[in-house]
Order: sequence, then structure tokens, then C-alpha cells
Amino acid sequence: MMGKEMTLDVLSSIKGAKASKVVDDLFEVIKTGQISDNQTDEYQLIASMAVDVEDLRADEPIQSPAKERELIIENFPKEKNGFLVVSKVIEE
Amino acid sequence: MESQIKALHQKLVNKELTCTQVVKEKLAELNKNLHHSANYVLEESALALAKKVDDKIANGEKINLLEGIPFGIKDVYLLQGTYSSASSYFLRKYKSPYTATAIQKLLDAGAIPLVKENCDSFGHGSSSENTVFGAVTNAHDTSLVAGGSSGGSAVNVAKDYTIFSIGGDTGGSIRQPAGYNKVFGLKPTYGKISRYGLMAYASSTDCVGPIAKSLEDIQIVLNVMSGKDWRDQTSFDSEKVSDEALNSTLPKGTKIGYYKTFIDTEALNADIKAEFKATLAKLEAEGMQIVPLDFLDANVLVSTYYALAMAETASNLARLDGTNYGVRTEGENLKDTYSITRSENFTEETKRRIVGGNQVLSQGHSEEIYLKAQQLRNKISAQFAEDFKNVSVIISPVTPNKVPKIGTNLKDPMTMYLSDAYTVGFSLGGVPTLTVPLGTEVGLQLTAAKKQEATLFTCANTLAKLK
Repeated sequence: MMGKEMTLDVLSSIKGAKASKVVDDLFEVIKTGQISDNQTDEYQLIASMAVDVEDLRADEPIQSPAKERELIIENFPKEKNGFLVVSKVIEE
Repeated sequence: MESQIKALHQKLVNKELTCTQVVKEKLAELNKNLHHSANYVLEESALALAKKVDDKIANGEKINLLEGIPFGIKDVYLLQGTYSSASSYFLRKYKSPYTATAIQKLLDAGAIPLVKENCDSFGHGSSSENTVFGAVTNAHDTSLVAGGSSGGSAVNVAKDYTIFSIGGDTGGSIRQPAGYNKVFGLKPTYGKISRYGLMAYASSTDCVGPIAKSLEDIQIVLNVMSGKDWRDQTSFDSEKVSDEALNSTLPKGTKIGYYKTFIDTEALNADIKAEFKATLAKLEAEGMQIVPLDFLDANVLVSTYYALAMAETASNLARLDGTNYGVRTEGENLKDTYSITRSENFTEETKRRIVGGNQVLSQGHSEEIYLKAQQLRNKISAQFAEDFKNVSVIISPVTPNKVPKIGTNLKDPMTMYLSDAYTVGFSLGGVPTLTVPLGTEVGLQLTAAKKQEATLFTCANTLAKLK
């Protein structure tokens, strides 16, 4: 659950991360931008970027080729006695 | 300049050179790595492929135009079995499990990948200094930056280490380094080339595109890579850019627009301004109609782009936590493992963008910044649709300033962000934009309406013929 009190370092999963002034300043500028009164354009944009229902790819699993699976396993950070070792589970 | 692809193809067919000779020569240059443009040189596989081409020629078999042509790949694309690091510590030993669609099409056409090219980490930068492989230096002056984020790709093309390279452009990352290194670079219409196998930075503006020394080579490579791919649902089928579009010039009376907010400003370097205005005058003398257009303030464009790009990259890079791939540093518990791993293995600029993105998306900020950015983006798209009813092409400088010195950008991120002022708007609009090494010291950008790439080639040809 995302609590209101979540800090940016927790939200970003980066130890000690803080907001930077330069990014704050950059975002301040956006407040001065004038938007048009007619936001119906928004729907045209969404329509132009959306994928037609008829065009959606079939919702079915596709088996990866053997070479691809081999490389995925090779990329796993830790292995012990033929098993892939995951990090500790969430305790809370 | 004539097509380097066609020239080399002819030499191979005529047996003036062997493919192995060509590949060996370019590998030797890349291995010297004088500009830090190469992350991984693909020596073994490139020589094996070159031998196959030579055997084919020796057997009297015909070869395709791209067969045996050496090229480079920005190190954010997957090429099965090779390292794909995104110039980060995180993925320095990550091996691509599969090959990106755009790259696969080039392999199918017979082109030979030589190198995974240095770039800003995960595309986060405008100078190719935000990389764990050492800052890329400009092809023409090593005290200057290569531009970014596809800096290594532009330098390799400019130095002839590759015949062409494949860059990635989210907010200017092909166009700006192309301008800085005086080569051609194209960001096609969003969706014209599949993004499958390109590591996502900001998915809604990420584009695959070619960098080359000639317009004709951009055309050849673009035509091979374009097309619908079921693995990228935003991709679409499109017509090839014809030789006619490449070889003709704009008819007299063609309306060419430029944005007043980009030109009538103190923020634009005086030399670039003068060169740009001189180009407009030449076009006018050739009978073109120059149309001044209004646009959003450049700083608002930059702010809008970064609000959205940071939000998207924060989401896209959330998957990098050391669990399934990349490096992992174990902490006391799972959350600790995530945060230490991410803290140690992302660069400072990448962390700045992830944190900025989470800030934009968090409660209290999202309405004020993220939603406002989306509204501004809609306005930009609507404006392009309107502008291109009136003009055929919009012309602009690539950047407001000349190529910066190495070491200045990362110290001053705001200056780096603002240097993208002239490229990000076209990314937000999803429109095709071509950098040509003409007109100003940092080149010119030509932009057309969506799916009108052919117009860009005709306009570039017109500019090349100006006296």
C-alpha cells in the first residue's frame, strides 16, 4: 500500500535519494504554460495513439526459444546447486 | 555525399575489397577506442559473418545491398548473446536474450554488427558523459562533447568506424549528436519502426532511427527497419521512402515554417541565429515561401518533456532491482536489497530522473505537474496538426547553442535540460524530424507532419543544392 507519508527514497527504492532543486525548478516552469480552452483535442490525441481493438494481438502465451531461455537463466544474479537464488522474502 | 552503402557494395561485388578486409580495418579503429565510442566490439561474430559474405562472392553468388555492410548499434538495443549495458553498472554483464526487431531486420538483410556503442546511461543525457564507459568525445574536436544520448553512434559514423549506426531518440538523442558531429540523423514518426528490444526510457516518445553520412543511406536503412511488428502494438505499416522523394527538390512556392519563439530570442547563439536566417533567405531566393509560426515558450517545452519523460523512466526502470537480472547487492531485507542495489548501480543523473519522476507522479504533484504536462502535450500535438495544414516543412536549428566543452554538462543539469529546447517538442508531437549537417554549425532540423518522411528527404535535397 502506498501511504501518503512515503518519502521519495522509499518510493524510488534508492537509498538516501532526495528531491533535487534543479528538477524542482524545472517543474516550476510548467505551471506557467498556457493550456488551450478547448481540451477536446485530448480525445483526438488519445484516439490517434490508441490501438484498435481489432488490432490487438492474441492473448496467448508464446514459448520462448531454448536459446532465449538459456540466456535468461544465465542473466540471473545468483545460482546455488543448480537453483536460482532469490532475495529474502518480504517480512512485513 | 554519395551513398557509402552503395559505394562499398560495389567494391565488394567488383572484388576490389574483401568484406573481411573492411571489417578488420574498422574493428582495429574501434578497438583503439580513441573517442570512447565503443562499449563492446563484436570482433568474433563480425569476422565470421564477413567470411560468409566473402565465400558467397567467391562462389559467384549475388549479394544484397546491405550484405556485408558494417554497422553500429547503440548499447540500449538487444542483440542476442551480446552484452547490452545501457552504459550502466547495473547491466554491464547483462546478455541480450533476444534481438530487437529493427536490428533483426538489418541482420536478415545481411548487414554486419560491429559494435555496441557508448551512450548516456539509459538514454539519460545530452552529451554522452553520463556513462560508466568514459565520456564520448566529439568526432571533430576531442575537447567537445559528442552530444547525446546516441553520442557513440554519431561519432562512429562521423569517423567512418561504421557505415551507419542505429541510435535511439526520446527527446533529441539522435538528432542532437548527429548535429554535433556533422552527420545525418533521423527520428521517424513515432511507431514507424518497432521499439521491441529497445530498452525503454520514455515509452511514449522512444523512437528507433538511423545515423549516416548520406541522405541516401538514411533512406536505405529506414526502409529496411520500418513496418508493423506484432511485438510493438504502437508500430504501423508505412510506405517506403521512394528514390523520387530522395532525388527531387521542393517546388517553388512551397511553404516552409519556422518557430519565432526559437529564433527571436536572446537564448539562441548569435552565430547560429545569423546562419539560420541566412538559410531562410536562400530558401526564399529559391522561391520558397517562409512562414513565421507561433509556438510554446521553449522553456515550457523542456519542462513538459522532462515531467513526462521522468515519470515514464521512473516506471520503466522500476523493474531493475537486482532480482532477475543485472547485479544484486544483498541487504538486511528485501526492501533494503532493492534500495542498496539501485543506489549503487544507477548513475547520479539516472537517480535524479527516477526521483524526479516519482515526485511528478506522487500525490499532490500529479495534478499540478503530470496532468498539466499531458494537457500541454495535447496542445502541442494539436498545434502540429494545425501548422502542417499550412506549411509543408518546419525548419529549426538543432540546439540553441554550439557544442559544449567536455565536463560542463553534468555539472549544470539545468543547462543540459535547456539544451534540448529545440528537439523535445517534436518528440512530444510524435512527428518525423531529420537532422542535416547543413545551414548552421550544429546543423538544421527538418520536421514534417506524421508519416510524411518523404517530404523531409525532398527538403534535405533542396537544402543541399542551395548556393
